[in-house]
Amino acid sequence: MEHLSLNILLFLPLIFCVIIAGPWFPNHEVQIRRTAKAFASLLFVYSIFFVALFDFTKIGYQLIETIEFANGQRWFEPIGASFELGIDGLSLILVVLTSFIVLLASIASKPTIRKRHKLYYSMLFLLTFAILGVFLAKDLFLFFLFWELELIPMYFLISIWGSGRKEYSAMKFVLYTFLGSIFMLASILALYFYNFGQTGNLTFDISAYNAINAPFILSLLCFIGFFIAFAVKVPIVPFHTWLPDAHVDAPTPISMILAGILLKMGGYGLIRFNLGFFPEIIKFLAPILVILGVINIIYGALIALVQDDLKKLVAYSSVSHMGIVLLGLGALSVVGVSGAVFQMVAHGVISAGLFMAVGIIYLRCHTRQISEFGGLGQVMPRAMYFTLIITLASLGLPLLIGFAAETLVFYGAFTSNFASNAILSNIPIQVWSVIGIFGIILTAAYLLWMIQKVFYGNMFEKWKNIHDLTPHEVVVMLAIVTVIVVFGLYPTGVTHIFIPTVKGLLSNIIL
Amino acid sequence: MNWFFDIVNFLLPEMIVIATILLSVVLTFLLKEKGQKSIYLICLTGVLFSIVSFAFIPAQPYVALLGSFLSADFTVFFRALIALGTLFVLFMSKRYTWNYGIWRGEFFILLLTATLGAMLLVAASDFIMLFVAIETLSLSSYALCGYTKNDRLSNEAAMKYLVVGASSSAIMLFGVSYLYGIFGETNILKIMEMLLGYEPNFTLVFALLLMLGGFLYKISAVPFHMWTPDVYEGAPIPVAAYLSVVSKIAGFAILIRLIPLFVTTAMLWSFIIAIIAVITMSVGNLVAIVQKNVKRLMAYSSIAHAGYMLLGLALFTKLGVSGVVFYLITYLFMNIGAWAGIEIFINQSGKAQIEDFKGLAYSQPYLALGLTVCLISLAGIPLTAGFLGKFYLFQTIAFSGVWGFVFLFFALINTVVAMYYYLKIVRQMFKQVAPVLRLDVVPKSISLNTILAFSAFCVVFIGIFSSPIIQLAQQISLNGAGLGILN
Repeated sequence: MEHLSLNILLFLPLIFCVIIAGPWFPNHEVQIRRTAKAFASLLFVYSIFFVALFDFTKIGYQLIETIEFANGQRWFEPIGASFELGIDGLSLILVVLTSFIVLLASIASKPTIRKRHKLYYSMLFLLTFAILGVFLAKDLFLFFLFWELELIPMYFLISIWGSGRKEYSAMKFVLYTFLGSIFMLASILALYFYNFGQTGNLTFDISAYNAINAPFILSLLCFIGFFIAFAVKVPIVPFHTWLPDAHVDAPTPISMILAGILLKMGGYGLIRFNLGFFPEIIKFLAPILVILGVINIIYGALIALVQDDLKKLVAYSSVSHMGIVLLGLGALSVVGVSGAVFQMVAHGVISAGLFMAVGIIYLRCHTRQISEFGGLGQVMPRAMYFTLIITLASLGLPLLIGFAAETLVFYGAFTSNFASNAILSNIPIQVWSVIGIFGIILTAAYLLWMIQKVFYGNMFEKWKNIHDLTPHEVVVMLAIVTVIVVFGLYPTGVTHIFIPTVKGLLSNIIL
Repeated sequence: MNWFFDIVNFLLPEMIVIATILLSVVLTFLLKEKGQKSIYLICLTGVLFSIVSFAFIPAQPYVALLGSFLSADFTVFFRALIALGTLFVLFMSKRYTWNYGIWRGEFFILLLTATLGAMLLVAASDFIMLFVAIETLSLSSYALCGYTKNDRLSNEAAMKYLVVGASSSAIMLFGVSYLYGIFGETNILKIMEMLLGYEPNFTLVFALLLMLGGFLYKISAVPFHMWTPDVYEGAPIPVAAYLSVVSKIAGFAILIRLIPLFVTTAMLWSFIIAIIAVITMSVGNLVAIVQKNVKRLMAYSSIAHAGYMLLGLALFTKLGVSGVVFYLITYLFMNIGAWAGIEIFINQSGKAQIEDFKGLAYSQPYLALGLTVCLISLAGIPLTAGFLGKFYLFQTIAFSGVWGFVFLFFALINTVVAMYYYLKIVRQMFKQVAPVLRLDVVPKSISLNTILAFSAFCVVFIGIFSSPIIQLAQQISLNGAGLGILN
């Protein structure tokens, strides 16, 4: 077990990236792809080992590792930042999700990526490196560094291998995220400065800022700063306009990563920083979170209802489902926040599956207009069954993973004994969660309508010759469906990983 | 013999540069067209020796040449940085001057004379010395801008630079004459001492304002920035790189050294310089968005970077100064790298519009990689020097309290704008184009490629291991000459 190290886990993708990118690696498509798949599998297996190593009863960071210079100085001594990695239940589940989705994405890349394979796979691993860094960083500076680093590979992945207005979308994605993150940077610096004034220590250590006892105004401003950065990423409704563009124009595997993992970075940040650092403020502002969450659910669902573009529909369903995360977070109860984390995992798997399904259809028909489809189930039954299961999971059919997550969230929100804040909103959270549940009905409406229009009914003549799933696609869909069914039947398998962590984070709030 | 002792001990690098210049002048007249190539090598060797000779300068602070030259950690460091920048520019100019025949020597002589001026400027501790040094730097730069005599743009650049430069020199001199009128003294260190017991009045503020104008012109801060885009566009590319890096480093170094002059009215000046800084970076970044020519874009980008650094300088603290010093180090590498990449591209294609970079990543992947690294470093993306430079600078600004945060906010917004136009070039490079037959008539220039590769490597290296360099920056700003007054 001593061979398991977070540093190795973090740097594995970077090493893979260098191996593939270098001039020493043959520029041969099949070889690159196979190596990349092997590397991604290795990463996935390696990350699974951490679940075995993890102590589920402990609260707070575990397996902490610090890289220091030989003379004992921290990595970035003059400003007090250190290269410190740690893992807790929240990051563990997201790290495993990341390596899982990256593995699926690298398998799904075969039919969609048709040029510059070397650059593509090295960028994919660079992106993985940045995402793992975000989840593993135990230092605010390191977190911010990885948060920004992720932009560059994503920019290239969308703007080179995308379709449609790919350069516009990639630039929009980068600028939105960057604009959000400067607010976070200002907040980080303000906290850092405040902490230095109080304790005299220059440090960016995340644990040092947990439940920081700062003046109300400072905490409020910092909360808002962090919140804007994560709101862009989640995305929360007024900041969501980059998402449909980026999703629609990105290639299928990148859409899977974007919806499956990148959006979770926002949720992760909200729970880790906004909840962890500012328990007093979040108590005060939780009604806002709940309202924003409900707006997300309803708005995303309503827009998805009228979409004719298959990929846009799935993109807006992402907006809707991330609203559930926000609702669970706003409940501020152990059940609600655990539901939010669970929903992030569930949505990560489900949306990756949905984007895969859209990619499969687009590859064969070269169109995404729902009105042009019909009866595809006659020629591709396997695709239909897989997509059906994923869709049903997405709309929350019992015994599938989406049901478990949504039930937790709504149960948590409904039973939340957290008093509504009279200044901000007089309506109790129960009313909001009931409104949110109507969003689920809308979800069922647009998803079933989509399934019906695409797979059932009469088939157009032109789709007669399309073929069913290839083995690659079967593997990806089967993996996703397996996760959906297994953890739908046995949700404790996921929840027991992060519930202690959530309890620890909420211990400052629940009196 | 005291002055001889001074020169040998403390002005050794300058003396080596002067000897190189003299030797080159003689050789320029003696040698035939073919032999002129050796002048490049001589200048290169001279600058190299000059850099090495910094190791032999005694460490303790010392005022040489009858009080007009200050040798201390801070000045030694900046002189070395200037020599290093000049070395890079020399490498960049080898290819550029190769078809200028018998005028080739001229370029290197002027370049080294400008460097001599810059090195003396950084260490000047007397206003007379300061003025002579700044004029040496400026006059050589004017001539360098007009080096390509047959190019209309180059002539225009030289003329514009000359007119703006001469008038701002005059303004600065006017301010200095007031200071002389008040204190009856031209020695900067003595004036700083006298200032401590001096009641600030309007005359002093006015004199300092005029003097500040002269330096703002050198670093192309906003009211005095008009020359920058035209000069960068028209001047030979190595000269543009020289102006944007070496000349700017010299301007910032002397401005930092003169901070103690502003201390008696620090609140006022801090505010004024911060406002100028915010306007400078906003103008630079906003105007850069609409630029179509890559040289003009780099000019506005250099204005914007001057704005960030000016904001760090406006704090008037040692921490702020260390932020500026570290930023200047990172700026040296990333800007030299970017200019080298642009020069390679322009040499080959003869075009300088941003659209012309289309498909570069496919025809020349390594050039595109190097240029991309330098550009995203200028934009401030992690794992590059630019990110840490900005982060450290912003961190020092954050430490100055609530007002710092107000200005910091503008700086942060500006980085987002900057991101857009740097990525605009990167976007063009990675655009897929139908394969065109590129006529590579221009053979590859090894020296240019080396500079690009070296800068890109340094940018990434500093981006990962910058701890020692920041400590160096902190150390030299703590022991900085005349900075003892600051907190």
